[in-house]
Amino acid sequence: MSHDDDAPRSPGRGQAWKSLDQGSLEALLESARLLHGSLEPDELLRSLLRSVMGRLVVSRGLLALVDEDGSATVAVSRGFKNLAEGAVFDPSARTQAGIDRILPMGDPERPTGYLALGKPLTGVLGARETEFLEALLGIAASAVDNARSHTRARELNRQLDRRVQQLRTLLDLVRSLTSTLEPQAVAQIFGLTLAGQWLVRRSAVHAWRDGHPPVARQVGMHFVDARGLEATLAELGGPARLEDLPEGDLRRTLEAQGARLLVPLLSGERALGFAALGEPAGGRTFDDDDLIFCAGLAAQAAVAFDNAWYFAEAVRRETLERDLRLAGDIQARLFPDTLPRPPGWRLAARNRPASAVGGDYYDVLSVGDDEAAPFLLCIADVSGKGMAAALLMSNLQAALRALLGTVEGLVPLVSRINRLIHRASPGNKFITALFVLVDPGSGRCSYVNAGHNDGLVARAGGGLETLPSGGMPLGLFAGAAYSETELALSPGDLLLLYTDGVNEAENPEGEELGEDRLRQALVGLAQGTPPEVVAGLFAEVDAFARDAPQHDDITLLALGREA
Amino acid sequence: MPEPFVITRAVHGEIVVLALAGFLDAHTAPRFETAVQSEIDAGHHRLVVDATALSYISSAGLGVFMGFIEEVREAGGDIKIAALAPKVREVFNLLGFDAIFDLVDDVPAAVERFTATPSA
Repeated sequence: MSHDDDAPRSPGRGQAWKSLDQGSLEALLESARLLHGSLEPDELLRSLLRSVMGRLVVSRGLLALVDEDGSATVAVSRGFKNLAEGAVFDPSARTQAGIDRILPMGDPERPTGYLALGKPLTGVLGARETEFLEALLGIAASAVDNARSHTRARELNRQLDRRVQQLRTLLDLVRSLTSTLEPQAVAQIFGLTLAGQWLVRRSAVHAWRDGHPPVARQVGMHFVDARGLEATLAELGGPARLEDLPEGDLRRTLEAQGARLLVPLLSGERALGFAALGEPAGGRTFDDDDLIFCAGLAAQAAVAFDNAWYFAEAVRRETLERDLRLAGDIQARLFPDTLPRPPGWRLAARNRPASAVGGDYYDVLSVGDDEAAPFLLCIADVSGKGMAAALLMSNLQAALRALLGTVEGLVPLVSRINRLIHRASPGNKFITALFVLVDPGSGRCSYVNAGHNDGLVARAGGGLETLPSGGMPLGLFAGAAYSETELALSPGDLLLLYTDGVNEAENPEGEELGEDRLRQALVGLAQGTPPEVVAGLFAEVDAFARDAPQHDDITLLALGREA
Repeated sequence: MPEPFVITRAVHGEIVVLALAGFLDAHTAPRFETAVQSEIDAGHHRLVVDATALSYISSAGLGVFMGFIEEVREAGGDIKIAALAPKVREVFNLLGFDAIFDLVDDVPAAVERFTATPSA
């Protein structure tokens, strides 16, 4: 920045110079060099006052600078006891103790400042001295302006550097937090950033959320019940200096830990944690700008905590879902891969679980090795859904397969199974089941119903019969008694077993399919093969339910004797 | 692309020199914190941080220094920071770290400082 081009600020100053002698001009030139060589306003003013007082032989002098608001403040003062540096200087108050002359620095209309002098020891100031002073003050004015704008520029630069540094810090924090999914790591990164940004040796970061372990990072601080501050923090709404807090528990708690700044971590209306910062090293304090910036950092940390917890919950959910899917896969293997095909008979079955793991079950097992051996149909529905139901269902399957062939007769078999299920299941769990033992050669069958939906028989001639039933569901009472009923299937007859997910299928209006619709549908389909009947009934259920979600498993098992 | 952050450890008598290379930012600061913590846990309170190859430091990186300085000084030690590159030193100055930490020109000078004037 050059001031060579600066226009003279004092009108007539150029003329005044003409009457100055060689010596004075040289002194002026030297002063000009000296003054313009300095960019420190204070140093410059001290040097100016020194040379003025020395040359004029005055023992009191001061220089005051005009501030932006037009008022003047004493910058350098020598010998004036009641006008110390930093005091307000009123150039119009002529009566100020000990002042003999006041001269403006620079343009008298808009002076940069004032020079005030006591009475010269030599008596009065001559015209020459006055001219010299005016010229000197003109030069000084431009030098002071120069130095002041340099100081301002430096201050602006410093502020800019600080802003840039703040942005860097924010960017660094955000970048690092985005890749952090551990709540404890979020606390560490946030704590380190705050400590470095504000030079604090002691700090604490606390965060909490129901269902997650509390997060704490404490350096030189120890908060006992961090979450106890939750309600107060939410009310606070933003960072607060200790001295801004109202007297009370919160303030006392912070004071005891040496905290100077409290930074709430907010998620919506709620406080999920806070950071507490101790005293900044090097005597710094937290200014308003710090508070605003700190609130910005805290907002990022709050989001990162929320994300980390959300991620943990998602992982937990995912693990649970994977377990369920695995259980569903295992369960699907419990259903027979292929159904036996005894000569003259045709079987079809289908199960559609409502959730990943279901509670329905069907099986077709041969009692003996040859094709003519009897075979057992079983359809069952475990009360409840989910893992518990699936486990009980696999129990039933294991019991059935283990006991079949070792127990003579259907009733003893079902009674044994009932006792086993009773032992394996908690009191409120039970299984409804229907067992049908078929002799493929004769078509003679016997069945036991343990609390299950009645089976339906569509006769070749067109009639529809319901298999009358009795018997308690399996697992409710260890000593439940079961009875066996005879049934004959002739060529062209079709036996349908189903679970209540079929007749209780709901449409979007909440209406159930019902047994009547099921019977009608079966009558319409009964001339088809068992696979056609099962497919047709599923289509019927779907057409009725439309898009309504089904709450129960749907299972159909059809046995047809070929005509 | 940030350079990878590497900490190399060397022992000079009772003094441990941790040489840092690359970016010390919010992402890598936790590692540095662990490194310093393990020195202190092992009773090493005279630490020199060799910043010759340190190309960037963020507030979080400076936060590591803040968290330990009181403890090591109370234990009669210090953390001296040697050979800061001008750009990195700017950050130290801007935040006022130069007033709190002993910033030294190079590692031998830092080691010398420990041996010549054992900290109180």
